[in-house]
Amino acid sequence: MKDQLSALIDGELEIDSADHLIASAKAGGELKQCWAHYHLIGDVMRGEMNTNYSLSSRVMSALEAEPTVLAPNRLQERVDMASVPESRLTVTHSGKFWSIAASVAAVMFVGVMVLQLNQTEELMPVEIAQSVPTEYLQAHQAAAPNGAAYYIQTASFTESKQ
Amino acid sequence: MLRFFGALFLSLLSISSLAADDAWLSLQKSAYAARELNYQGVFVYQNGKQKSSVQITHMNNAGREMTRNVVLDNSSQANQPREVYSQGSDIVIMRQKNQKMVIEKRRGQNLFPAMLPTDLRAIKASYTATLGPKEYIAGREAQVIDLVSNDALRYSYKIWADTEYGLLLKMTLVDNNNKTLEQIEFTQLSTLNSQDVNWFQPKIDVSKSYEMQDKTAVNHVESDWIVAELPAGYVKVDHRALVVPGKATPVDQMIFSDGISSVSLFIEPLNKGMRPKTGRMGIGSTNVCAHVLDGYQITVVGEVPPATVMQIAKAVSFKKQTASNK
Repeated sequence: MKDQLSALIDGELEIDSADHLIASAKAGGELKQCWAHYHLIGDVMRGEMNTNYSLSSRVMSALEAEPTVLAPNRLQERVDMASVPESRLTVTHSGKFWSIAASVAAVMFVGVMVLQLNQTEELMPVEIAQSVPTEYLQAHQAAAPNGAAYYIQTASFTESKQ
Repeated sequence: MLRFFGALFLSLLSISSLAADDAWLSLQKSAYAARELNYQGVFVYQNGKQKSSVQITHMNNAGREMTRNVVLDNSSQANQPREVYSQGSDIVIMRQKNQKMVIEKRRGQNLFPAMLPTDLRAIKASYTATLGPKEYIAGREAQVIDLVSNDALRYSYKIWADTEYGLLLKMTLVDNNNKTLEQIEFTQLSTLNSQDVNWFQPKIDVSKSYEMQDKTAVNHVESDWIVAELPAGYVKVDHRALVVPGKATPVDQMIFSDGISSVSLFIEPLNKGMRPKTGRMGIGSTNVCAHVLDGYQITVVGEVPPATVMQIAKAVSFKKQTASNK
């Protein structure tokens, strides 16, 4: 059925003989997903990425929800560190704790933050040869004005782990 | 007698400068041929121990340039691109990731055999072109052109251009000891006579679902990082902010190019748990240099000699006056 759907989108299947496909695509489920995916591919190939199919719009809204900081700086670094212990505390302590001892918690934030900052400084630098920065290699290949290297790349940039 | 030698010297001089002009003309013809001709074939790309065969179909349909590249031997590697489509400067890459197909979009890269830019001015400043012998590549007669670096800040190239059509048939990247680091060449090539464009659409694999890769870069950003002194001949061609899942702050990426060789500079704050990296390493034609500056990880990556990545890594600094205003 997916084959037929693909053929229909490519214009290789008469629309009159595709009533059953359209009906099941409308009904939802797997075929509806495929319908969206195949159209997404078509849009990308034609360079029409602004059309509002569910998949691309979901990606876009997820992106919009992400805060984007254009220039990394030290201030941002501290804010991010402060946010980590906050979520940990929320999980491990009750709301009552908060209402009674908010100021104590605030002091704790600072304590944890200082501790973590110290940890960062204690990590000894490693020789780069021990740890190939794959994500940098791929980002370089993706941005270089001319390239052939990506025909042999082994992993996607977005899958990099710290 | 003196006059005779003078005349001889002058004529030799003009012959050699004519020969250099011819070499640049051949390169210019080659740059256009890759974009204007209709052809299909198979090329093999090799870098270090890695190797890949790619089937290419290229058509220029009344100024609309279309290319399809299909990777032929990627059964063993997940995540490798399977198909690369380009139309003008838009590039779409389809790669397999587990049971999904991921669609990635890029812009403005010069892909083989259109590796040479049509504007050769930047390259002329840093390289010397000379004509070599004639050799056969994929059954076609080719003119060898040596594109030799004028200094130690970039590698040299050897180019084989079809004597009849100018199309780039083979290209190698050679270091200063004349060792080949990277090679890309046609093993099969023929002209494409049909005007049919049905090949320009991906083969949909109905057993897989498709998704767009999350956007990983914001192009053309500004930041307070400066590179005080770039290696001669290199200019900044782009500045992006890479959004990397799992990283709290985007990674700054600046791209420098001398017209054909390029280098990326990455800057990111050393957040908690991140192990700083220092030192230098080489993988195939690529050199990497890393160091730490003021709580930031600096990493430089490029298909250039070690001296070039090290020079860029050392030249990075923060614009002090802007920083103190914050």
